[in-house]
Amino acid sequence: MTIAPPAVEAIDEQPARRGLLRYAAAKVGGALLSIAMVIVATFFAFRLLPGDPVRALAQGRNMTPEQLDLERHRLGLDKSLAEQFVHFVNQTVHFDLGTSYEYKRPVLDLIGERIGSTLLLTGTALVMAVSLGIWQGARAGWRPGSRFDKFSTGVSLVLWSVPTFWLGLLLLMVFAAGIGPIPGIFPTRGIESVDAPDGFGYVLDVAKHMVLPCLTMVAVVYAQYLLVMRSSVLDEVGQDYVTTARAKGLRDDEIRRRHAVPNALLPTVTLVFMRIGFVVGGAVTVEAIFSWPGLGQLFYEAIRVPDFTLMQGTFLLITVSVILMNTLADVVYHLLDPRVRSA
Amino acid sequence: MRRWIGAAAAMGMLALGGLSGVTAQAVPQADPVAPKVIRVGATQSVDSLNPFLAVRLVSSSIHRWMYGFLTVPDAKTLQPSPDLAESWTTSPDGLTWTFKIRQAKWSDGQPITADDAAWTFNKMITDDGAKTANGPAVENFASVTASGQDLTIKLKAPQASMLENPVPIMPKHVWEKVGDIAKYEATDFPAVTSGPYVAVEQKKDQYVKLKANPNYWRGAPKIDELQVIFYDNPAAAIVGLKKGDIDLIGRLAPPDFEALKGDANIVQWNEQGRRATYLQINHGATTSDNKPIGDGHPALKDPKVREALHYAIDKQKLVDEVQNGLAVPADGSIIPPMYKDFFWQASGATKVSFDLAKANQILDEAGYKKGADGIRTMPDGSRKLQFRFSIHTDTPIEEKLAEYLTGWFKELGITLTTKRLDSSKFTEETGTTALFDIAISGWSVNPDPEEVLATHLCSRRPTASGEGGGTESFYCDPQYEALYQQQLKELDRPKRAAIIKKMEERLYTDAPVIALYYPNDLEGYRKDRIASITPIPEDKGILYGGSGYWPFYTLQAVTKDAGTDEGGSNTGLIAGVAAAVVVLLGGGFFLTRRRKTVADDRE
Repeated sequence: MTIAPPAVEAIDEQPARRGLLRYAAAKVGGALLSIAMVIVATFFAFRLLPGDPVRALAQGRNMTPEQLDLERHRLGLDKSLAEQFVHFVNQTVHFDLGTSYEYKRPVLDLIGERIGSTLLLTGTALVMAVSLGIWQGARAGWRPGSRFDKFSTGVSLVLWSVPTFWLGLLLLMVFAAGIGPIPGIFPTRGIESVDAPDGFGYVLDVAKHMVLPCLTMVAVVYAQYLLVMRSSVLDEVGQDYVTTARAKGLRDDEIRRRHAVPNALLPTVTLVFMRIGFVVGGAVTVEAIFSWPGLGQLFYEAIRVPDFTLMQGTFLLITVSVILMNTLADVVYHLLDPRVRSA
Repeated sequence: MRRWIGAAAAMGMLALGGLSGVTAQAVPQADPVAPKVIRVGATQSVDSLNPFLAVRLVSSSIHRWMYGFLTVPDAKTLQPSPDLAESWTTSPDGLTWTFKIRQAKWSDGQPITADDAAWTFNKMITDDGAKTANGPAVENFASVTASGQDLTIKLKAPQASMLENPVPIMPKHVWEKVGDIAKYEATDFPAVTSGPYVAVEQKKDQYVKLKANPNYWRGAPKIDELQVIFYDNPAAAIVGLKKGDIDLIGRLAPPDFEALKGDANIVQWNEQGRRATYLQINHGATTSDNKPIGDGHPALKDPKVREALHYAIDKQKLVDEVQNGLAVPADGSIIPPMYKDFFWQASGATKVSFDLAKANQILDEAGYKKGADGIRTMPDGSRKLQFRFSIHTDTPIEEKLAEYLTGWFKELGITLTTKRLDSSKFTEETGTTALFDIAISGWSVNPDPEEVLATHLCSRRPTASGEGGGTESFYCDPQYEALYQQQLKELDRPKRAAIIKKMEERLYTDAPVIALYYPNDLEGYRKDRIASITPIPEDKGILYGGSGYWPFYTLQAVTKDAGTDEGGSNTGLIAGVAAAVVVLLGGGFFLTRRRKTVADDRE
């Protein structure tokens, strides 16, 4: 390692900071452009979907043409596509996502009601999956081919390939209903018991409801963190600095933890940030199995109707959060890795 | 790294504690004398608790339990019987109806008057928002007035189904304060109601809690609380029933129903249902101004072809194989046998039974010759008899049905290809654009079958611009139309039933639709929780989703020693919590421990 003279460092610092600002500005600009494009695409994409929402809403009920017209007028569907588009863009830039056709309530309210439970479930699952993935991946990559490597990579890949729905139902049947000697201790549905106790008891009640959905999500997604971490660590194993550290007589475990893992973390960090964006969208399947009242479930309902405004709203929220998180990942990566900065 | 994992675990716990705190809410403490609670599972979430807006079955069921109507179907005969209206009279021309509203109280103690009913109907007539759920019910109303306990409704035209009014009567003194009905969610609890139950709490997409109404004029229900608990997924609901998280679940599909077999605590409820499953046939769709529309196969315009198709369907086989035996083959039309007064069944020469030879013979005689490839062509040779069969995507039952039909029709020299559509596209193609040949269909029928019969009226066809509502196979038949008008004016029930049976016969012989079977009503309940429950109708009938509040009013819970239940749920809670903590923290602990041992091994 060379030590740069202070004078040189002082000169270098200004352009570097300016470089970062310029880089961040460019990234944010790009993100804003993407968001604008997403707004346009969202509007048109959902109107390409087959099905007349008013007719779908009237399904199974007797409605006269006058009533259908009235309903159409109320939903603003009698206006021209251009007018509807202008209205939509105007609303969206004012953070108004419109009123749901089916629930007849502002989409933002509906999202607001569910975002907490989604973040709770997917956030916890992400933290657990990332911790487990990084830890197992680092160990597996450090000693490739070892029994631990084969075992954890194998298990994670099997879980990764299992259909989420199937795994969720299996856990539900074993741990909620109980099979043989295993008693059914976990709830079958929802975020809380109907007669949930107050205070700390309530927190425990929610925790109990979270176990199975969380377990399902972690089991299915942690393989990706494991694999990325494993391959990054694998790259570091043959590096000179590792050999140097070994030659210095450092403990193997120490080298892995202090030197190799921090260097190998970068790609995983990016992956984690990207996933945070998706976390907002929840997990449609897991939410559906365990009747978890989150955004995934809301989005699924919206597609079934179809409820254009609700679909647009949830879709926009999910895409925008993915874009923002990607941008953030880029900037963080830039900060963390000097190689990206100089490139 | 260790610190990092510690932080992650802490974050997890924080997220858990912090966020759940946000959703925390006050829950009333359990009564020392354990209240009798019955929990009903629903696989449909509540769209709204505002009866003017709610359209889903689960919501209208809850409203039936909460509010009084003018009349209610009798528990035995299903004929209209007094509810909030204790008696009524009709003018000789059938245009003026006077209802005497019973002296009773709202759940908040206020008296119920005819003014409440008049306000409800007038609100629907004058406010478009209030028309959302039951608009058509007041379409024929010329005026509604109240005087004391007397409610007078003047009609524009006679209407025999007048006593089947589906509108819950709302308390004027509460609801007139509501600004915009179209936006009101009705989540001010406790609700003010006149029926057996009062809604006291709702958690969106989670549950609705109802308490017994002490002021109910028939007397309060025998249970203290009724909870409707939402399941997103029927399989999870079955697990919930087996485990005892819920006590009753209705509207089961055959596989879910069979999954309940062998559980000693569960009663499998398998009775006659209120639905009919049938094929709708594009027999030459037209718009309401009689212009052809869509791309239906010309051969299906020929009643002979439709008759041949009818002969080629083995309904018993469909019941056995497609519905797992849990249905009744249809020898009648679209009204299921549950409605004894109105049910019509074919007999003698009219009756069509499975007979492939006869089906082939009919087609031979009608001039549809088989080609070299075994497929029949139109008499003028212009087109092969190749039909599309529209079904919904991802519905295993309909897939199976399509397989059987394809097989039988093949023996007739007719090719059937399956076309899978998502539900909104399906509704559009079979109800508006007529881009289909044969499609699956089915309706639930109310005690008064007028609505389902009306789906076959000329006026239900779409306009040229694709507007209009609710046709079944674009039927428009003068004979059927005349019968419909006739029954509408006939206030004598037996005479009206006779006309309705003629309408069913017409549908059976003309075959714009072919009834396949009447699916059974499949439900399940826990006998260790529910001591007794009366279906509608009383002999063999429906529990959940029926057309009255009887089952949930007469419901009796199994009495248990107080506290047993509480102990059980506490044990579950403690065990659950222990497991949750193990999963969240144990993971992190395990990781640190494990690292240490491995590191030690290496040294």
